[in-house]
Amino acid sequence: MVAVIETNSLTKTYGSLVAVNKLNLKVEKNTIHGFLGPNGAGKSTTIKVLIGLLKADSGSAKILGQEIGWDRPETRAHVGYMPELPKLPKHLKGTELLDIYGRMYGMTEAERAKQVPELLDVVGLGDRGTDLIGQYSKGMQQRLGLAQALLNAPELVILDEPSLGLDPVGMVEVRDLMKKLAKQGTTIFLSSHLLHEVQQVCTQVTIINRGVEVTSGSLEEISSRVEGPLKIEVEVNNLSKPILEKLEALPFVDNVSRSGKKLLIELTTRDDVRSEVSQAITNAGGVVVAMNLKGESLEDVFIDLLGTREKES
Amino acid sequence: MSGRNTSWLMKFLAIVRYEILWNIRKKKFIGMFIVAFALATLTLAGGYITSAITGEPVDADPEFVISSNAGLGGLVFFLFAVVTTMNVISAEFESGTITPLLAKPLSRTTVFLGKLLAAFLTLLATYSFLIIYMAIGSFVAYGPQTNLHLIPLSLLGALFSTLIWISIVLLFGTLSKSSLMAALGPFGIWIGTTIIGQILQALSGQGWILNYIPGVGNFGYVDGSPLEGGFPVSTGTDSIGANLVNYILHPAWEVTYYKIDIEGPAQIPSWVPLSTEPLSNVILTSIAVAVVYFIVFFAVSWYVFKHAQVAE
Repeated sequence: MVAVIETNSLTKTYGSLVAVNKLNLKVEKNTIHGFLGPNGAGKSTTIKVLIGLLKADSGSAKILGQEIGWDRPETRAHVGYMPELPKLPKHLKGTELLDIYGRMYGMTEAERAKQVPELLDVVGLGDRGTDLIGQYSKGMQQRLGLAQALLNAPELVILDEPSLGLDPVGMVEVRDLMKKLAKQGTTIFLSSHLLHEVQQVCTQVTIINRGVEVTSGSLEEISSRVEGPLKIEVEVNNLSKPILEKLEALPFVDNVSRSGKKLLIELTTRDDVRSEVSQAITNAGGVVVAMNLKGESLEDVFIDLLGTREKES
Repeated sequence: MSGRNTSWLMKFLAIVRYEILWNIRKKKFIGMFIVAFALATLTLAGGYITSAITGEPVDADPEFVISSNAGLGGLVFFLFAVVTTMNVISAEFESGTITPLLAKPLSRTTVFLGKLLAAFLTLLATYSFLIIYMAIGSFVAYGPQTNLHLIPLSLLGALFSTLIWISIVLLFGTLSKSSLMAALGPFGIWIGTTIIGQILQALSGQGWILNYIPGVGNFGYVDGSPLEGGFPVSTGTDSIGANLVNYILHPAWEVTYYKIDIEGPAQIPSWVPLSTEPLSNVILTSIAVAVVYFIVFFAVSWYVFKHAQVAE
């Protein structure tokens, strides 16, 4: 697979703070690549180095096959970038901003005339394009920030927390748009703290913490790297001692703890044994109201890999 | 995208457009324009105000527009430089708009030069409007005007003088990334050279130092001391336009510098001549000083901007 982003021991420090530490990142073409990490992990710093806003202390990086260097505008010609909570010039109107940015990308007048209204429609600002950006709400500025990132029909789109400040409908629209762009062959590099968002749209994921890559790969690969058994959380009506005994007797159950109507069953396996557990509860006279497998969602993987599960609990 | 025009000029003009729209929509700029317009109107009305007070009729003055340098002077240069430039780099950093801007495929040199050209064009349009207003107003108020062909020279001088202040504002703004510092730093220089410098000059006789500092400069007089009705000539970068016009009208002018001596036996202040030089020397010195400051300040600002990192 062709890499559209490739870093080699990329390092960036702020004084004594190492924000990005020898990062080896690889984003393959035609993927939606999630970039995850807790606050201060170095996600935005990495992106800013890639875009040319920050200078790396050491290491190297390539975007679309070109070394990023410093102040090399040609490396950004086919890249769209949406910063986290984009700050856009308030003195311009939405259409003016996109038109001027379009000129900066070297788009012809005909291209701008077609692309600008289309993009405003796509992000839901079709009827507000002639308003000054200073009159836009935070969510509307976020939408315009997304539109400007897609203006040059980029091969690579880098989105830093695109759902921040959006209402639930807006979030869904952004996810749908990402999927649509990916289908059209655009590579998307998505930095997000919304794990369910990443889980819904991304095909590949890189997790970093304190500037260091924790893991990288497809969602399935990453899940399989998580050590330790799964857990099942189950809510049971008619919860009784025989049910607990029955569950504890199951060969793949390590421990069962109770909290009101809820049971947390710790397993000795990573196999999905929900049907066996459900059957055991029913046989012992209980009624399963709800059941969740814990330890396989991206959130579980994220917490597990960052070693913060204990702190969280 | 096929047919995409990737010419440098197109991108450069996009920055110019971006910046001009910002300039003319700034409340500060609109406010300053109103102030400059009011000052010009006050200059035009000066003769009539005096007439109303003294009761004497207003005389025709064919030299009015030229002798008043079309109403453009040091304070206007300084203030317009501040309002057009204080936000050029610093406000982009302060507001965060620098992030999406520098993510576009433009070199930082292109961004820097485009912003400068925009400031220059904004000033050119503003000063042109004010000069035309003054020329028409002078005709209406004081009758037909002479030497109108020298007005472009006044305009050129005004732009050049303002560019020096622009380079100072830009330097402070780029180094500090703060619009407040971009305004306050040059303001300190302006106050220093305009007020403190003049006091030191008059009392110490060391006014020549002001020839090498941007601003109003030293004060000399033509045809006698101030007490003898001598015509004042300021030597600084703010007066390049006025001095050029004076040189064309009076090429033989000699400028004499004085100090105020209050150490005589009677303790009565007297103006003691220190030195004399041709007006052409004054002009050449001020232009050379302006060019050096301009190049150095712009070069430093450009270098700092080119290497500035955008962390926020």
